[in-house]
Amino acid sequence: MAVDHFARAMDDNEGYPMRLTVDGQSFDIDADPEMPLLWALRDLIGKTGPKFGCGIAACGACTVHVDGQPVRSCSLPVGHATGAITTIEGIGTPGKLHPVQQAWLEEQVAQCGYCQAGQIMSAVALLDEVADPTDADIDNAMGGNLCRCGTYPKIRAAIKKAAVLKTARL
Amino acid sequence: MTKLLIILTSVATLLSAALFATAQESQTPAPMAVDTAKGLPEWDKIYAVFSHPRCADCHVADDRPRWSGAHYGGTRVHAFNIQRGADGSGFGNPGLRCTTCHFASNSSALHGPPGAENWHLAPTEMVWFGKSSAEICAQIKDRNRNGDRSLEDVALHVRDDKLVAWGWAPGADREPAPGSAEATYQAIENWMAAGAPCPLTQ
Ligand code: FES
Ligand code: FES
Repeated sequence: MAVDHFARAMDDNEGYPMRLTVDGQSFDIDADPEMPLLWALRDLIGKTGPKFGCGIAACGACTVHVDGQPVRSCSLPVGHATGAITTIEGIGTPGKLHPVQQAWLEEQVAQCGYCQAGQIMSAVALLDEVADPTDADIDNAMGGNLCRCGTYPKIRAAIKKAAVLKTARL
Repeated sequence: MTKLLIILTSVATLLSAALFATAQESQTPAPMAVDTAKGLPEWDKIYAVFSHPRCADCHVADDRPRWSGAHYGGTRVHAFNIQRGADGSGFGNPGLRCTTCHFASNSSALHGPPGAENWHLAPTEMVWFGKSSAEICAQIKDRNRNGDRSLEDVALHVRDDKLVAWGWAPGADREPAPGSAEATYQAIENWMAAGAPCPLTQ
């Protein structure tokens, strides 16, 4: 599917060639630099882990990292995504989950799951900077990630568990 | 005789010191005359910009940027628990920086986030939100509360800074700050030339 989109973009000759580094791999795409990064990730590269929720940086479902910092990929033009991009698909493997993914499983955080890729990416970014976050640190980091299923108490518990797991791995 | 000599020498020393002081005073530029008739209308133009929501919403006394102005129909704190940042930097908190959503340019999506390089809150000592004209005027002349800038530096900052420039080009249906960067720079220059008077009333 991703290849079809890529081929169509090339045929239409509407965009500009650019190279993105996503989850440690290089991808050559041809896209309008104003295209939202999320579109490029999902439709041109085939990374469907990041989700579309609102398209205006108001829900957090599309959160990915650029050079380790969380960004709402629905609102960042792909032409401005000049660093290494990490999606939910690049933080762990089935055999070696990221501590945040492990904690999410152990706490059974997800309900419908739609917001969770974004929640996890924000939590990873928080723990990269604050190893042992307080409740306030968690509230301050996660306020832009909405969950319509109301999994917030489990998210908080899982972030605290992830902090312990991550420190234990170091 | 010795006493007379000492007295004469002391008088001569005092006289020469007084003459030196007079010569020095004549070289010190006279303090700039303050022309309130010319200066205050220029200040009013500057105040209209500084107090405009596009500028004042991020010059707040507390840790939360505001959403206010005609576009919002009222004053609210920025949604999503957005804050200055525990480190006081103005760039937000770990996991949720201003630049998580505000990029180098305005989003073209309906109700998408505005953007400009270096998006952040002004330091706490530079409070404009809810302040009177006299209060902002006194503040902008105080190096402890204006980022340690001369007034000339303030004028250049207003003219050249990209985040400040966003106030006049906020995108979508947001109301821009009045005038332009260049016109505000010129108003500051004119205000300085008139002795930088401030309104008296609070
Ligand atoms: S889809 Fe990007 S923040 Fe909602
Ligand atoms: S788990 Fe359903 S929206 Fe968050």
